[in-house]
Amino acid sequence: MKFHWFAQQYYSKLPPEYGDTVESSWVTPPAAYADPRQVGEDYHTYIRLMQQADGLGWDSLLLNEHHQTSLAMTPSPNLIASILAATTENAAIALCGNSLALYNPPIRVAEEIAMLDALSGGRIIAGIVFGTPMDSAFSYGVPPVELRERFHEARDLITRAWKATEPFAFNGKYTQLRYVNPWPRPVQDEIPVWIPGSGSVETWDVVNALDYCYGYLSFSGRQSAEPIVKGFWEHTEATGGNMNPNRMAFTQVICCADTDEEAERQYSEAVKYFYRQNPTAIWQATPPGYTSQASIRENLTRAKTISAEERLKAQRGELSFWEYDELGYIIAGTPERVEQRVRALCTDLRIGQLITCMHVGNLPEDVAAKNNHLVGTQVIPKLRDVWADEEDRWTPKVSQERVAAKFGAPAPV
Amino acid sequence: MTTLEIPNIGTFDVELWEEGAGTPLLYLHGYERHPGGAGFLKRLATDHRVLAPEQPGYGNSTGFEHFTDVQDVALFYRELVESWGLGSVDVVGHSLGGMFAAELAAIAPQLVRRLVLVNAYGLWLDDEPTLDPFGPADQVKAAKWHAGPPDVEPTNFVPDPDDPHAPILFSARNLGSATKFMWPIADRGLRRRLPLIDAPTLVVHGTSDGLLPVSYAEEFVRLIPDARLHRIEAAGHYPMVEQEDEFVSAVSAFLAG
Repeated sequence: MKFHWFAQQYYSKLPPEYGDTVESSWVTPPAAYADPRQVGEDYHTYIRLMQQADGLGWDSLLLNEHHQTSLAMTPSPNLIASILAATTENAAIALCGNSLALYNPPIRVAEEIAMLDALSGGRIIAGIVFGTPMDSAFSYGVPPVELRERFHEARDLITRAWKATEPFAFNGKYTQLRYVNPWPRPVQDEIPVWIPGSGSVETWDVVNALDYCYGYLSFSGRQSAEPIVKGFWEHTEATGGNMNPNRMAFTQVICCADTDEEAERQYSEAVKYFYRQNPTAIWQATPPGYTSQASIRENLTRAKTISAEERLKAQRGELSFWEYDELGYIIAGTPERVEQRVRALCTDLRIGQLITCMHVGNLPEDVAAKNNHLVGTQVIPKLRDVWADEEDRWTPKVSQERVAAKFGAPAPV
Repeated sequence: MTTLEIPNIGTFDVELWEEGAGTPLLYLHGYERHPGGAGFLKRLATDHRVLAPEQPGYGNSTGFEHFTDVQDVALFYRELVESWGLGSVDVVGHSLGGMFAAELAAIAPQLVRRLVLVNAYGLWLDDEPTLDPFGPADQVKAAKWHAGPPDVEPTNFVPDPDDPHAPILFSARNLGSATKFMWPIADRGLRRRLPLIDAPTLVVHGTSDGLLPVSYAEEFVRLIPDARLHRIEAAGHYPMVEQEDEFVSAVSAFLAG
């Protein structure tokens, strides 16, 4: 299995009352809460941690895209990616966005990803996303009912543009271009494409039809995610899709320390900060038209594996550290414990691409660096046997070869 | 249910509430839902043949996917009215239906005898930005009504005892379709087309509407060549519900004039 280093690039100096007093940490939070100089410091922290992970054997460094939120100050993941492309050697760089429907013309996304692929020597994973409702519908004003159609039209344009050997005309409903001919083209013949989703059946069908990697990127832990991940595999099996576990990416917060007690002491406050400082207004999360009728029905009838009370307590930072662990929000403890829990998670849910969230909330940089060190040296090497005999076409060849050569990961199948 | 086939475009199966006899009156409902056989429609039907289609994309009406923009909606209504073979009709449009009614009057002036716009969407005033109709539900609900919401808002929704999720799906489908024309701002360029309207026009406005201030009605009156304003006090976004008597008499008098 593969490991993808990730952190929500949180604003790290939110006042304690923030989570209880702002209407939402998305779309409308007062910008005065964030000092741009501190944001700059935070960016440098995340970049240093990713550069460290590149030297410890992670398979990729993953960046996401969100807008108008204190949760992730990464409106353009491509900007951070360009720094990593130029300053790292081994790991792939996984983009999750770009949010395709937000860019007009979307050929810009094809250009920037091709630039990054050239700059990194063919190490780019192109995660393409719909964007949360807060991002796409509210911050960027796309009518929710048009979002999916715009996304798929842009996807068609971008993937064609990467492979076209000659200029072509594109007459779409939302984008018209007489001469599509981006420079440069990507280094990779087939840029791996991931589509993270939130459980919509329509997305599963697209991902399966195109044999892309699906991603379930939540921070709500195994218990909440299990019905969706298992639902994806059941649907994939029933419809004759590719059951390769490397087609599933999953996010997991990891809090590793020398002892379990130390883990609690070092991470407890940051974990609570992470969950508590992210109130999302319900009206921003559920605009009409964003979710199809079939998916609304699916969501309403899907079995609930975590009680509403537990979920609310988790969001308010009111669970104990080990309750977060028990419900799967986090995996915490010694390297041995983390290894066992990750192995069980990835085996049970057929996860080949684990997105390890190594920094949360306001965690001090030195604790995150220790987390990197412990997991990179004592956890990842022991888990390389998981799904090792499965082909992986969803991460770049170059990074597979380099990580294998340097860190003894299994050679590409 | 009525079916309209537009060659090379597609098929529209449209719920149609129809009642009464006399001069034909096309009623286009607002952004939330079709009002069903609401009191004001029944009263208008005492001296009109009221034809109130449910907008494609709402309730059971299909064909929404054939719309790329608001011009397609106007052309759809042109085809629908022509398919009736009744000649020109009076048109009353409420809320989002007001936007469509005004577009129809601009694109097919020969089909619109008289036009009534009721708390209509379609314009934007920088000096008086409106409340987001897709904002917090309690805020929107409070803004819509002068005297607070009635026990039951007029609707054509029919509960299904076997489907507890039907009300959620009904509302999500209706409002989702509305986002095509109202998100993020309910302005699809109507301002440029209002001066092309030939029909004598009555702009009716519930003055307590927290979604659309009365200045929006005044702007409609300013831009439409032959238009006048009728303010209805003590009414919000639904003056036909909160002040049914005044609404029906004002509209009836204008249409008779």
